[in-house]
Order: sequence, then C-alpha cells, then structure tokens
Amino acid sequence: MNGFAIVLSSDELERVQAVSIMSSVAAASDIPVDIFVTMNGFRAFDKEVIENADFNGGKAAEAMLNADDVDIPLYTEQLEQAKTLGPLSIHACDMTMELMGKELSDMVDLFDGTLGVAGFLNVAEDKQVIFV
Amino acid sequence: MTEQTYSPDIVVDSREAACPGPLMDLIGKVKVAESGKVIELKTTDKGSKNDVPDWLEKAGHELLEVVDRGDFWSLYVRKS
Repeated sequence: MNGFAIVLSSDELERVQAVSIMSSVAAASDIPVDIFVTMNGFRAFDKEVIENADFNGGKAAEAMLNADDVDIPLYTEQLEQAKTLGPLSIHACDMTMELMGKELSDMVDLFDGTLGVAGFLNVAEDKQVIFV
Repeated sequence: MTEQTYSPDIVVDSREAACPGPLMDLIGKVKVAESGKVIELKTTDKGSKNDVPDWLEKAGHELLEVVDRGDFWSLYVRKS
C-alpha cells in the first residue's frame, strides 16, 4: 500500500471532517497520506474561520456542531493528533494562497509546506488519489 | 452484564468520544506498548465497537474479548 493523496477542494465541514477522519486513521495505521489543500478547501484552515467557528456545511455539520452528548474533536485536532502517530503531510496550494492573498501564517499550524501542481503530482504519483 | 475476564496492563478511557476518537486513542497506546501487553479500550461509540476489530485484524493485533458493560463496551486487545 503506497498510501493516499487527497485533494481537498471544499470547505464544507462534513467533507473536511470526513477527510480528516480517513486520513487520521490511515496515517495512524502507518499508511502514508498526503493532503493537498486547494481552492475552497483552503478556507477551512484559515485561523479566523476556526476561531469564529464560521463553518459552511449542511445537516451533518449542524448535527456535529450541536452534539452535546458526544465529544467530536474538530478536524484540526484530529489531524494534529494524527501527525504525531503516523506519516501524514499536509500541503497548501501555492496558487490558492496567492489567489486569496493569504500566507501560511494566516493558517492553522498544520501545514508541512506549500506545493504547486507539479509538486503535488510528484507526491501523488505512487498513491491512490482521492478528490474531495 | 458480562464479567471482566482479562486484567489489562493499560486502560484507555474513550467514553463519550465519537468516531474515530476511540480508535485513534487505542492506536496511540498500541504504538508505544510492549508486545504482549493487554489494553482495555472503553468506548460508548457503537461505530467504534465495530470498527476497532476491523483495524485490529488489519494491524495484526489480537482482539481478546468485547464486554458489554451496559452503558459502554470494554474491548480487550493484546498487542502482537
């Protein structure tokens, strides 16, 4: 198993959380995972969005945010934990950062660095690619 | 309620945590535990009760027993 290369292009909480769950369990199980955060996916890692809990999403996101009987860690916490347990790398899309006028310092501290398309394709060449 | 039949070396209390919290907590402990150690995972998450055995099978660790304690489950695991 060469692992997964996940393109995260959505900021919908359900999708980001699902990516986080799958990536975290895979990486913790020693399956390499690279997440390429691009387009709207970038917004989900903006410090301001996290601090203000300004999430986009539908029914599942609403249920997750309103759950008071279970402890559901946000994707940022899951990914942080997973990075301590296994081979998980998170890359920010250079183009999106420029487009949005953002720097890595505007993002939560989870990124291993930035990549362009060619860089991501190099990372992904031996992995199963999942587009979200 | 079933009586406990294993004496764990390590207890992981993940009650109230949703998927994949219990599994992630267990993996964290399994990774640093010595071979042969018995770990008890406490979970209230039905999905994790079913998912953890699948992970154990793939990872090669032994599921010793699942005990229904009424308001939570105890999963006893032996690290390979």
